Amino acid sequence: MTSTQAGPWRQIGWRNLGRHPKRTAITAIGLGVGYFAVVFLVGWSSGLMAQMVENGTGLVSGQIEIHDTDYRPDRSLYDTIGGREGADISAIIRTIASDPAVVAAAPRLYAGGLISSGNSTSAGMLMGIDPSLELDLTRFLDDLVEGRIVEPGRNELLVGDELARQLGAGVGDEVVLVAPGADGSMGNDLFTIAGIFHSGLAFIDSRYGVLPLDTLQTLIVMDTGRIHEVAVSTADPWIATEAAGRLTAALGPMDLDIEVAPWTELRPEMVEYVALGESFYFLIIAIVFGIAMFGVANTMLMGTYERRREFAVMLALGTSPRHIVLTVVYEAIALGAVSLVAGFVVTLPVMVWWHNAPPDLGWLYGEVTVMGALIRPSLRVEYDVAVWIWSSVALLLTALLAALYPAARAARVPPADALSGL
Amino acid sequence: MRIGSACRSKVLMVLMVLGVGWPAQAQTAEEIIERVDRLLRGDSSHGVTRMQVVTEHWEREMTLELWSLGTDHSLVRLLAPAKEAGTATLMADDDIWNYLPKVDRTIKVPASMMGGSWMGSHFTNDDLVKESQLIEDYDVEMIFDGEHDGVGVWEFRLTPKPEAAVVWGYVDYQVRKDDYMPLWARYFDEDERLSRTTEFSDFRNLGGRIVPAVMNMRPADKPNERTTMIYDEIEFDIDIDASFFSLQSLKRRR
Repeated sequence: MTSTQAGPWRQIGWRNLGRHPKRTAITAIGLGVGYFAVVFLVGWSSGLMAQMVENGTGLVSGQIEIHDTDYRPDRSLYDTIGGREGADISAIIRTIASDPAVVAAAPRLYAGGLISSGNSTSAGMLMGIDPSLELDLTRFLDDLVEGRIVEPGRNELLVGDELARQLGAGVGDEVVLVAPGADGSMGNDLFTIAGIFHSGLAFIDSRYGVLPLDTLQTLIVMDTGRIHEVAVSTADPWIATEAAGRLTAALGPMDLDIEVAPWTELRPEMVEYVALGESFYFLIIAIVFGIAMFGVANTMLMGTYERRREFAVMLALGTSPRHIVLTVVYEAIALGAVSLVAGFVVTLPVMVWWHNAPPDLGWLYGEVTVMGALIRPSLRVEYDVAVWIWSSVALLLTALLAALYPAARAARVPPADALSGL
Repeated sequence: MRIGSACRSKVLMVLMVLGVGWPAQAQTAEEIIERVDRLLRGDSSHGVTRMQVVTEHWEREMTLELWSLGTDHSLVRLLAPAKEAGTATLMADDDIWNYLPKVDRTIKVPASMMGGSWMGSHFTNDDLVKESQLIEDYDVEMIFDGEHDGVGVWEFRLTPKPEAAVVWGYVDYQVRKDDYMPLWARYFDEDERLSRTTEFSDFRNLGGRIVPAVMNMRPADKPNERTTMIYDEIEFDIDIDASFFSLQSLKRRR
């Protein structure tokens, strides 16, 4: 077959689209909507996953956590970074902050204790922070429900809104903190509630008391160089693993016996959840285009059946059945291409719009906590180039596969019978 | 008739005084355990004890003054170290309050913290309030009667009664035959694993009775840790009633 002979079949296929413009348009819209559905569903799902990962790692914990190697999973009060002697915290923070992927790093100290106000007492988790560094890192203290952030050196405390409710205490009220000290004593002191936060995560809002690092160290009789954790945030959750590797190397010379764990290691269930979500993307593509395929097949079957006489004439004039198949297949591919363009033209602006300004879905459902991460009700979508490409391929394949059977039927039209009106 | 009866009583008394009348074996296991239990508690008591706590991370010794009435009321006040003197714990029925002199506040221990350590020791808050008469909560069975290292001892297995609020799977006690002194108690969890061991020693006359003056408790999972109670003074059956165990007493400083 020469190239000049290849031409006409393609043209015939293309021109056939114009015979029933309305039918072509409806089928193309069907395929285009399918394309939009796939790209949108996958984009929305990615958006939920991204939100889960961002909130799961950015709201409180940070994308990377550095601990003493013995700290996890028991989280013992005594397993501080650098052991009993502690470490030069500011040097550690400086080293970490010099990594290009790192946005912020902050030291933390934890202690279990009692928070008591009047006749109400709750068991809580006390978290000692460096207020200025912490604000760069986490988001849950950014917008306090009430009051202000704690100041270093003062007996001040931030509590979650649920804990404040349980204690019946508000900003300005005095509470007693009791925590077992590192020397076996029972540390206790009076604190003033400086502010109330709402993270949206029930276990944080109902249990956490946040206070200045140095004040907590005094309460539980710990030296100033002793902390449990350095939390680190990276520009993008997905570069955390790489950055953790670099930080391990950078902190190596300090000889601290620490582990630098990215969230993918700290929260493997979250990684698995994302992988599970991604495995569904192909299922979505298969289902949506599987349905679309029958629509296209129906159109093509109708189109070829109407043209039985035409195919009979072509065959009678010496066109080979292979070329009949080609004209039908080319028609389907042309239809697919038109649909793809139409789908793309509709999908792109919508995705850009919803990515940048996600519509609020608060009227449909409330805040959801998945894997300990807060997800807000919105139509936030993510782009995923691979999915766009796969959907395009799937659309063209759908059109092609849907055309095979009608094309085979067309090629097997018996010329004499068809022309004689049978 | 009257005379005969009086004679028999007298003979009985003489026999008892001579210590020949009632072979120990004639006592039931329950009776022995009840005797041991009462020995350690009395109806009421007041004493001063030192509590040494040794953990992997620190060691400390506290001096405590304590009062108790039955199994439901007790009050403990820290006398030393000076920094924490005045810190006190009141146990009344199933509740615990701690008084903190530094902040002058009384805090009721919430239910969720009852499993937590009491004053840094290896005792939990629950250990203190769940204390009850052994024979009320346990079925007692003698599992050994013979000699260990030349000393005649009984061993008993105390299995919680179905309705008893007890965390243990069972508790084994060893009791010395000649003076009914407990030698050790071993606490097993519900999977029959040893959870803690309490050893009694230094049997001395305190408050008019022979009691073990030293009680040493070791958790099975941390063999190098212990909490030791050393009684320096104790008096039993003192004149005290339930009204003493109040939040006002808790705050009172010496």
